[in-house]
Amino acid sequence: MLDIKNLNASIEGKKILKNFNLNIKPGEVHAIMGPNGSGKSTLANVLSGRKGYEIEGTVYYEGKNLLEIPIEERAQKGIFLAFQYPIEIPGVNTNNFLKTSLNTIRKFRGLKELDSLDFLKLVKEKSKKLKIEEKILSRQLNVGFSGGEKKKNEILQMSILEPKLVILDETDSGLDIDALRIVSEGVNSLRDKNRSFLIITHYQRLLNYIKPDFVHVLVNGKIVKTGFSDLAQELEKDGYEGVSIAK
Amino acid sequence: MNLKFEEFQKSNLGLKELDNIRIKSFKKFEIQGFPTKKQEHWKYTDLKNIITNNFQNLQIFNGSKNLVYNNKLIIKNFEHNKIILLNGSFIESSFIYEDEKKIIIKSLKSILENKNDFNKIKEYFDDDQNSMLSLNHALTNDGVVLDIENNYSFNKPLVVYNFFDKTAENKIINNKIFISLGDKSNLCMIDFYRCENNIKYFNNTIHNYTIKKNATLKKYNINDSLDNSYNYNSVKIKSYSNSVFENFLLSLGPNLIKNEIHCNLLENYSSCFINGIMLLDGSQHHELKTNVNHKYENCKSSQLIKSVLLDKSNGTYQGKIYVDKKAQKTNGYQLSKALILSENSAFNSKPELEIYADDVKCSHGSTTGNIDENSIFYLMSRGLTKDQANKMIVEGFLNEVIETITDPNVKILISSLFNERINKVNV
Ligand SMILES: Nc1ncnc2c1ncn2[C@@H]1O[C@H](COP(=O)(O)OP(=O)(O)O)[C@@H](O)[C@H]1O
Ligand SMILES: [Mg+2]
Repeated sequence: MLDIKNLNASIEGKKILKNFNLNIKPGEVHAIMGPNGSGKSTLANVLSGRKGYEIEGTVYYEGKNLLEIPIEERAQKGIFLAFQYPIEIPGVNTNNFLKTSLNTIRKFRGLKELDSLDFLKLVKEKSKKLKIEEKILSRQLNVGFSGGEKKKNEILQMSILEPKLVILDETDSGLDIDALRIVSEGVNSLRDKNRSFLIITHYQRLLNYIKPDFVHVLVNGKIVKTGFSDLAQELEKDGYEGVSIAK
Repeated sequence: MNLKFEEFQKSNLGLKELDNIRIKSFKKFEIQGFPTKKQEHWKYTDLKNIITNNFQNLQIFNGSKNLVYNNKLIIKNFEHNKIILLNGSFIESSFIYEDEKKIIIKSLKSILENKNDFNKIKEYFDDDQNSMLSLNHALTNDGVVLDIENNYSFNKPLVVYNFFDKTAENKIINNKIFISLGDKSNLCMIDFYRCENNIKYFNNTIHNYTIKKNATLKKYNINDSLDNSYNYNSVKIKSYSNSVFENFLLSLGPNLIKNEIHCNLLENYSSCFINGIMLLDGSQHHELKTNVNHKYENCKSSQLIKSVLLDKSNGTYQGKIYVDKKAQKTNGYQLSKALILSENSAFNSKPELEIYADDVKCSHGSTTGNIDENSIFYLMSRGLTKDQANKMIVEGFLNEVIETITDPNVKILISSLFNERINKVNV
């Protein structure tokens, strides 16, 4: 599904990702853990097409050169990034935005666009299932949302857009236990043999709820260790420094 | 520029007093000419230059024989009362939703012919703050005078249709609108402009409103069309105690608009709200100049203007809050936000506070910038194209002001006109 080889990314002359390698197969859940500033968000941004990075190396998504695909087409082809800091966009109604997004993606996939009625039905169903208050959808996009509401909104978008590759950038940070449960249930309910996840997190906590197939430790732009889900517990105990030295 | 005033004057002879006012006012205009950027308040709109560049032979409009307007231009699926002006002249009115006994409507033409009636409004012909006003006093021969009695609330909005037809081509049309709202009366009114075939003309209008105690006037300027027109509007409001004046300006259409709003809060607890949006492309040039004068204690004013500039367009907001030394406990607020989407476009914002009282709460702010890249990335990462993302952000940016419209039916009308426009604009 996703094959990253020798990826180097810099911004304003500063090298952030250094010879980064990662391979994700359909249905796999990978967790990337790392300290602040190690390059986790940079990885997420590069994968979803954010401008401004100097990039070397190759990234293949479903056999195609991802780096040549425009941002919106990556989304249409099934890449979804849940933002670490979802953006507030004043005056834009969340429902309208989501309907436009869903319909562009459906159109790309050759599916019929949903009218307002069908869309609202879908939203109702999904938000009920995820126990997310529908109310936030009639508000302006992320404007005045609490931290938790913003993250829940990302998860609701994910479950409505049904992407193939989901990247969660610290979606767990700052969440209380209830919100954490909602987020992880959202992810778990979408898990299937064709859908892959890249879960970026700072803490091991989320991985108690979402059991990853692989855990990678990112330090200073490089994966310094890869293991199975028990690696996360180890990290919690010994910290990132322990891991890098062990390497 | 050669305006044939004598010809006009001879064919409009009437009350001696009015004849003299015309002659005196035209002299004042001739001495000053059209305002230029050297004049205060005209720094951002050099009218003389604009007129020279766009009109080869501008002539005085001297009434037309045509009294027939195009019925298709009437707003559909929207219950409303009507006043119809064609090329600035009063044609007809209908108040089918109202108690007509409470409403007195006269054409300005009839008032200018009657000595008693004219005496009641002649003080309004003294204002010579700028040469456009003098020109208007000299050349006005029609318009509307509307009086609403005490304790009358309109059931439906009133649309004042300002239609223009081909007889207006290359003409300067001058008229005046007077509205007076009695104690505890309520009126929601829309100034609606339409012109067929993209005729080029200049419209110079003076509005005078009086809002008595506890009365509310909601006024909506809908300028979404008239793409080839040039407009100067001067609005003067006298607000008495506890009255409310709400003005929303949809500034999308014409080549040139300079709107001036002078609101005088004369008595306790009167308030004034001016909100508006500009969405300009091509070489459109729109300016809003406000002067909110707090002349008494406990009055409140608020202004929110959002603008989006494309292509070679030019937008200006000059907002002034003046607080008299008597006007303690004033609450004044103004905010201007602009998005500049083309390097050839420009936005000028000049907020001004002039405060002589010490116990006041006044604030103003102004931001001008580009669309935030993070916002575009967020929307595109959800599958929207760059154009879709831009449009959604611009629409949202401006929608925030449309959301402030307090009349629900008017809000729907303005939203739909705005949507029509934004779908045509290439953001
Ligand atoms: N736009 C930028 N300009 C300069 N440096 C940046 C920029 N964005 C991120 N960085 C730097 O790159 C490094 C990695 O950042 P980031 O990917 O956000 O880390 P993480 O998400 O792991 O906390 C940090 O040192 C950060 O300061
Ligand atoms: Mg980060």
